[in-house]
Amino acid sequence: MSEAVATPARIKRLIVESLNLEGMRPEMIEDEAPLFGEGLGLDSVDALELVVALEKEFGIKIKSQEIGREVFSSVSSLSQFIAGRT
Amino acid sequence: MRSRSAAGEGRRVAVSGMGAVCGLGWGIPQIWAGLRAGRPGFAPLRRFDPSQHRTRLASEVGEPPPELARSCPDWRHLSIADRFAVFAAREAVSAMGTMEATGAGLALPLGEEAGVYFGSSTGGMFESELFFREFLRDRRRGHLSTLASQQVNGPGDAVARHLGVGGPVETVSSACASGALALGVALEAVRSGEVEIAVAGGSDSLCQLTYAGFNALRSVDEEPCRPFRAGRAGMSFGEGAAVLVLEPLERVLARGATPLAELAGAGASCDAHHMTAPDPTGTGAAVALETALADAGLPAQAVDFVNVHGTGTPLNDAAEWRALQRVFGERAAAIPLVASKALVGHLLGCSGALEAVATILCLRHGELHPAPAGDPGENDPELPVSLVTGEPLPFPQARTAISTSLAFGGSNAALVFSRFPDGAA
Repeated sequence: MSEAVATPARIKRLIVESLNLEGMRPEMIEDEAPLFGEGLGLDSVDALELVVALEKEFGIKIKSQEIGREVFSSVSSLSQFIAGRT
Repeated sequence: MRSRSAAGEGRRVAVSGMGAVCGLGWGIPQIWAGLRAGRPGFAPLRRFDPSQHRTRLASEVGEPPPELARSCPDWRHLSIADRFAVFAAREAVSAMGTMEATGAGLALPLGEEAGVYFGSSTGGMFESELFFREFLRDRRRGHLSTLASQQVNGPGDAVARHLGVGGPVETVSSACASGALALGVALEAVRSGEVEIAVAGGSDSLCQLTYAGFNALRSVDEEPCRPFRAGRAGMSFGEGAAVLVLEPLERVLARGATPLAELAGAGASCDAHHMTAPDPTGTGAAVALETALADAGLPAQAVDFVNVHGTGTPLNDAAEWRALQRVFGERAAAIPLVASKALVGHLLGCSGALEAVATILCLRHGELHPAPAGDPGENDPELPVSLVTGEPLPFPQARTAISTSLAFGGSNAALVFSRFPDGAA
């Protein structure tokens, strides 16, 4: 599995690549912007897709109960969560 | 389905709204203009590369109206068939109809008194094909969300979500009879009082599975299809969605709306003969027509015209002619036939629903839409039918029509529509 470091830039690139976000570039996503609802506008289908992509990319396992609002609230929170797991 | 209520039992059922999209355009006004002009919508396929297939053509739906995407929060996760279905359903329930606009004028959400009865043959198959193409090329590139709408019930579910339908939501998948069978189920649900509003129809999009499958069976014409003509070589592909809103007739009249038509009866049968080929005697198809007429409480003599299944395959059209002979006797050669697939192609699981729309439009406008004129030499001496071709056939006195769907597996369905107010009163 990858030894990748979950920098915000890598997570942003992963979001754009894995979620087929038309017209969106990684640098357009802010570190603290909400990913779901008001911010980037992701939904629960995107959440499942993102979990799979994060697990593959960073060689981690994310438990179902960890897929919550806090960890997935922003690129910044995701980066911290993954850093604590790798 | 053989009707659960005997003829005359249950409530009379009106078509209070309808909407559709197909290769002729987005919305009923565009579709009627195309049908009336007898203008086929076939062109080289763009959705995917057909170069590996025997044929190249399809009647493909163009780009959706931009406001449709903006008004659907889940647009990215909807399959093409879902998008067609949502558009057609919204048109069908929208503000009150005029001759051109045909909405039922219902407020959203429709709530628990409404149900969705939908037909589809392949649902989100096209999107599944995209997923597996990406996945087989590079496992990291397979977008799981592409599969979010892969199920065959996707279009009906999307309609329920977008209209706020809280009653039963059911999908019928029985190949090319799906749309007509779904309308039959919906008719029974409204008649029996299971629901007050049925949003019913079908949706299917072009995909590689069906494009390759029908080509492998050599059921596809390299030229636009020529139903009931000599030298016909098969069907042409189409795609789209069509939705009818069914309500008790009294309810529609009570709110001052004008019914577009009455759905008077539905019938179904099976050839129990072959996986793909129809029973050449037309016996099974005739049973569906007779059952639908019995369900409507009407004799065969009451039928003014037939919207035929008319795929343009040598076997289907011949079997359908035999069925018409069984049902209409000597009248079979004289009764006008409307062949919508010559213009819109075969919409597979949606074809029965789209042809229900075409049938109602013909009744409502008092004229039958034509198939392209073709060459008089193309008339098939084996099938001496009265196909409407070239120009619309004025027929203001037409009161009752029957539409047939004759599918793979020998699954047959027929729907009887009557013009209102002087239809089946």
